[in-house]
Amino acid sequence: MSTVTVTESPSDALVEIRDLVIGIQRTRADRLILVDSADFDIRRGEILGLVGESGSGKTMVCRSLIGTLKRRSATIFGGTIMFDGMDLAKIDERRWRSVRGNRIGYVPQSALTGPNPVMTIGGQLVEAVRCNRNRTERDARKRAMELLDLVHIRRPEVVYDQYPFQLSGGMRQRVMIAAALAQDPDIILADEPTTGLDVTVQAEIMKLLREIRTEFNMSVVLVSHDLALIDEVCDRLVVMHGGTCVEVGSVEAVARNPRHPYTIALNRARIELAAPGSELMTIRGNPPGVGEWPSGCRFCERCEFAQDDCRVGASPPLLEVEPEHWSACIHASLLGAASE
Amino acid sequence: MSVSMPPADVTDVAAESTQDGPRPQPVWERILRRTGRAVIVAFWVMVVAFMLIRLAPGDPVSAALGGEASPETVAALRTQLGLDVDPITQFWKYVWAFTQGDLGTSLLSGVPVTEMLKTNLPVTLWLIGLTVTMTMIISIPLAVFIALVRIPALPYVFRTLTAIGLALPSFLVALLLLYQFGLIWGIAPIFGYEPGFPANLHYLWLPALVNCVVLVPVLSRVLYSSILDTLDEEFVETGVIRGVKSYRFFWFYVLRPSLAPTVVLLSYMMGVMVGSTVILESIFALPGIGRELVTAVNMRDYPVVQGIILVFGILVVFLSLLGDIVASILDPRVKLT
Ligand SMILES: Nc1ncnc2c1ncn2[C@@H]1O[C@H](COP(=O)(O)OP(=O)(O)O)[C@@H](O)[C@H]1O
Ligand code: SF4
Ligand SMILES: [Mg+2]
Repeated sequence: MSTVTVTESPSDALVEIRDLVIGIQRTRADRLILVDSADFDIRRGEILGLVGESGSGKTMVCRSLIGTLKRRSATIFGGTIMFDGMDLAKIDERRWRSVRGNRIGYVPQSALTGPNPVMTIGGQLVEAVRCNRNRTERDARKRAMELLDLVHIRRPEVVYDQYPFQLSGGMRQRVMIAAALAQDPDIILADEPTTGLDVTVQAEIMKLLREIRTEFNMSVVLVSHDLALIDEVCDRLVVMHGGTCVEVGSVEAVARNPRHPYTIALNRARIELAAPGSELMTIRGNPPGVGEWPSGCRFCERCEFAQDDCRVGASPPLLEVEPEHWSACIHASLLGAASE
Repeated sequence: MSVSMPPADVTDVAAESTQDGPRPQPVWERILRRTGRAVIVAFWVMVVAFMLIRLAPGDPVSAALGGEASPETVAALRTQLGLDVDPITQFWKYVWAFTQGDLGTSLLSGVPVTEMLKTNLPVTLWLIGLTVTMTMIISIPLAVFIALVRIPALPYVFRTLTAIGLALPSFLVALLLLYQFGLIWGIAPIFGYEPGFPANLHYLWLPALVNCVVLVPVLSRVLYSSILDTLDEEFVETGVIRGVKSYRFFWFYVLRPSLAPTVVLLSYMMGVMVGSTVILESIFALPGIGRELVTAVNMRDYPVVQGIILVFGILVVFLSLLGDIVASILDPRVKLT
């Protein structure tokens, strides 16, 4: 396993993820590794963006933070997730019940299938409000109304009795955010929360998440494959590629002064996309498939800076290239100079 | 037919940027509209039942009287049956009589068709009801068990067995079961009927079981794959994260969101099965309307044939209406149109 080189200041770190390895035990001897050596912190009150092409392992990391890997037959094979003195990588189902939903809220990906289709909005919120806590029905209803108000749903008393199919996608996602807030969690995980919504609604949801962070000083982990969508709202970014974290740092550092060729390519793709009349530019090649990762740097086959030393050994670990800015490219120092 | 299943139909989400979603449509309004449509379909069933008899080869009157009747007798019967006026007038008379609860009178026995239905229809309805109940009682636990208990070989065995069950012709199943349960084990009556609940169940469970052999493989498969689809959906994850209690979880997050396609399918298949009761009632000598229909057709007793075809048709329409309504109550995503 890679050596621990990430040295973030532990004072404001709410969750510390170190060397996290997630995979599937296919047979007794056959393990398929989906994510290896994920290394980053979630700090108190920050919006942390988790970006990378689809298939890079973002959802797996999220699931490990909410304890639902097993439902997808995946397991944590190594590493630690320290949260409030607990190692989430090792706690059992019983302990999870007091963390899940309670301390860590979750906003599902799809507005379409996120809310339970056979329950009213009110029913679902009351369920979220009452879980793990003994509230009376009346109390729970009051709190549910409050939550709907909090996420700016107009006419909450009408929406309360409606079914998800009667609401627009944006409203459904607001409801899901309300449900995630029900227990006043410390962290909210939002795994691509604006999938399938149109652009203006996406922006509204982003605004809402930022508002919530400010109001409750919660940490938000915002997952997206689209850097352009989230770099406005995030404080820090974690870039994932091929099941590893390739770059970690503040938005200014990562998005404006990237020190990993993958991030540079992501950035370029979005700038050229934004420029009118430009051809659609995507990152060269395909992301390496799970189980077919090349040795050495997993980006080497797509990287324009690749050298011979990139193709040997283990996947390079994150190294601090400047204060509070980590990159897993072994030629990161050259890149910094090049982009200046 | 009228049901379109999610998620294909609920994808108009992205278009909304305002906070006001589509106006809620009251459940009652939807059910009423669907019922209205069923009534219209029932009317067409009447038209078809009426035309079938008139388009069938052979003149009903001469068929009923035999070849040797005098022209006066034929004319008298035509007048008695109301066949002496033009077909359009005949039809409206027939509709009018129907609204008065009059389906005509048997040519053979002189008994009003409605009287015959009073004794025969309950037998068929009980058979249908028992079939639906038994099918659900077998299919739901079976599908749930195979979907939730993750034994690797089980789904494979399940698919193979259901495929075999599907391939068996139902009259053959009927004869085999009758032989095994009735003759060898002697735990079911070979024929006959006794009206009144619960005595009638003793005579109906074996025919219902025959229907199950056809229905259970289809329905448990459909339910099985719906449950697997449901378990893959994100709201299930949300339920897990909320720590929903297991019995609530099972109903609200697993079974109820999966049931609609099965219920709709069962109601449609029961419509088809109404036809197969003709065979079953004959094999098991049950005095239902199916067997009555066979007799009436053989005897060219055309008011009876027309009446029973109409009742069968209305039964099919009603069953699919019932299925759609139940499905939409279970799962609000189901559209009643
Ligand atoms: N059950 C599974 N079996 C095999 N591969 C899987 C399984 N679940 C996920 N994967 C693979 O793991 C990788 C990471 O998936 P995921 O975390 O969902 O990526 P992301 O959310 O970044 O798009 C993907 O390449 C996916 O194909
Ligand atoms: S380590 Fe080498 S191949 Fe990998 S990103 Fe850096 S330069 Fe490219
Ligand atoms: Mg994902």
